Amino acid sequence: MLEAARSRLKAGIVAGIGTAAAIAVAGVLGAFGARHEPMPVLAQTSRIETGQWLLQPLKAYVTDGKHAYGAPLKPGGKALVLEVEMTNRTAKSSKDYFEILRASQTAVDAATKPFIVLMRDSTLSPELHPGMPERMAYIWEMQPGVVSPTSFDLMVIGKTYKQRDNLYGLPGWFNPTPIGTLTLAVGAGPDKAQVQP
Amino acid sequence: MMRKMANVILLLLATALCYGLQVSKPHYAELIGPIPAYGKLGDAVVGRGFEARAAKVAFSRNLKVDRYGQTKVFTTGGIWAVVTVEFAASAQSTTVAVASWRGPTGLAYDQTERLSFADGLLPVAIDPGLPKKARLIFEVRPDEVSNATLLISEKLMSALDSQAEISLGPVAAGADGLPAETVDTLDLTQPI
Repeated sequence: MLEAARSRLKAGIVAGIGTAAAIAVAGVLGAFGARHEPMPVLAQTSRIETGQWLLQPLKAYVTDGKHAYGAPLKPGGKALVLEVEMTNRTAKSSKDYFEILRASQTAVDAATKPFIVLMRDSTLSPELHPGMPERMAYIWEMQPGVVSPTSFDLMVIGKTYKQRDNLYGLPGWFNPTPIGTLTLAVGAGPDKAQVQP
Repeated sequence: MMRKMANVILLLLATALCYGLQVSKPHYAELIGPIPAYGKLGDAVVGRGFEARAAKVAFSRNLKVDRYGQTKVFTTGGIWAVVTVEFAASAQSTTVAVASWRGPTGLAYDQTERLSFADGLLPVAIDPGLPKKARLIFEVRPDEVSNATLLISEKLMSALDSQAEISLGPVAAGADGLPAETVDTLDLTQPI
C-alpha cells in the first residue's frame, strides 16, 4: 500500500520536473516573448532593411490625371504615390518587390495592387540590379470619391533567406513577415515633371 | 568487455562514414545545374544547341535608342555595358533568350528590361547556317566591370543544358573609376 503510494509520488515528481524543464526550455528559446511584441514603428529618415531590399522612403503624395508615371488611372481617379529609393542587397538582379509594402489605409482598397514604376524612365516593374540604388514609385489607385488623406500608413514586409528550400533544394527568399509600420505625411506633388514612357 | 568496446568503435566509425557521405553529397541544385562551355572574348563557344562568339564589349554612360519613331536617351545609375555577340545554331532552329553579367565578386546582373522594345536584343531566333548578331545590354556597377564573365543560355532554367561562360578579361579603369574607353552616349539606332 505504502509502496504503491510512494511509487506514484515518485512518478508524479518526475513528470513535474519534466514539464517544468520543457517550459523553461521553451521560455529560453523565446516562445513566450515573440507573440506579444508590438510591431516596431519605422522612421522615415532611416534606411529600412527588408532582407532583399534597402528602402529609403522619400515622399508620398496624391496625384490625379490620366496617367501617373505612365500607369493608367481610371477617369477622374486619384492615386497615392510613394517615392522610395530601393537598393537590391542580394547577389542577383531581382524584381521581388511586389509584396514589400502594403498600404494599410482606408483610402486604398486592401486588394488593390500598386503599379511599381522606375522613375528614371517610367518602365513598369523592371528588374533592379545588385548594389545599384534606384528611385521607384509605388502607385496605389484610390477608391473613387475618397478625400485625400493627410498621412499614409504602410506595413513593411521582409523575407528571410534559405540556402536550400524544402521542395527543390535551391536558394531563395521565403516566409514574408511584417517587420514594421511606417507613416508618411502626404505632401505636395513630385519635385520634377513625371517622365512619361 | 573487449567485444563491447569493439562494437562501440564500429558504431562510431559507421556514424562518421555516414556523416561524411551526407556532407560531401552534391546538392540537387548542383546536380541539375547548367553545363558550362568555357571561352574567352573572341572565341567561338560551342554549346549543345547554339554557338556564341562575343565580339566586343563597349561601355557608355547613356544609350540612344529609337522607341516607336522617337529617339530617347536612357541614363543609368551605374554604367551601360553593351556586348555584341554572334550566334549560330548547331543542328536545329532554336532561341537564345537569357544572358547575365557576372562580376568579379560574383554579383549577377541580368540583361536590362528597360529596353525591351528595341531591336537586336535577346531573345534571338537562330537557324542552322544562318548566323545572327545581337546586342546584350547590361546595367552594372563600375566596380563589377573588370574580369567579368558573360553567361548565355537558351532559357531561364537551363537545367542540364549548356551555358556559355565567356570570360571578358580585365578592363582598364580611368581616373573617374569608369572603364577608360567609356563613351558618353552609345547610339543603338546604328545597325549592329
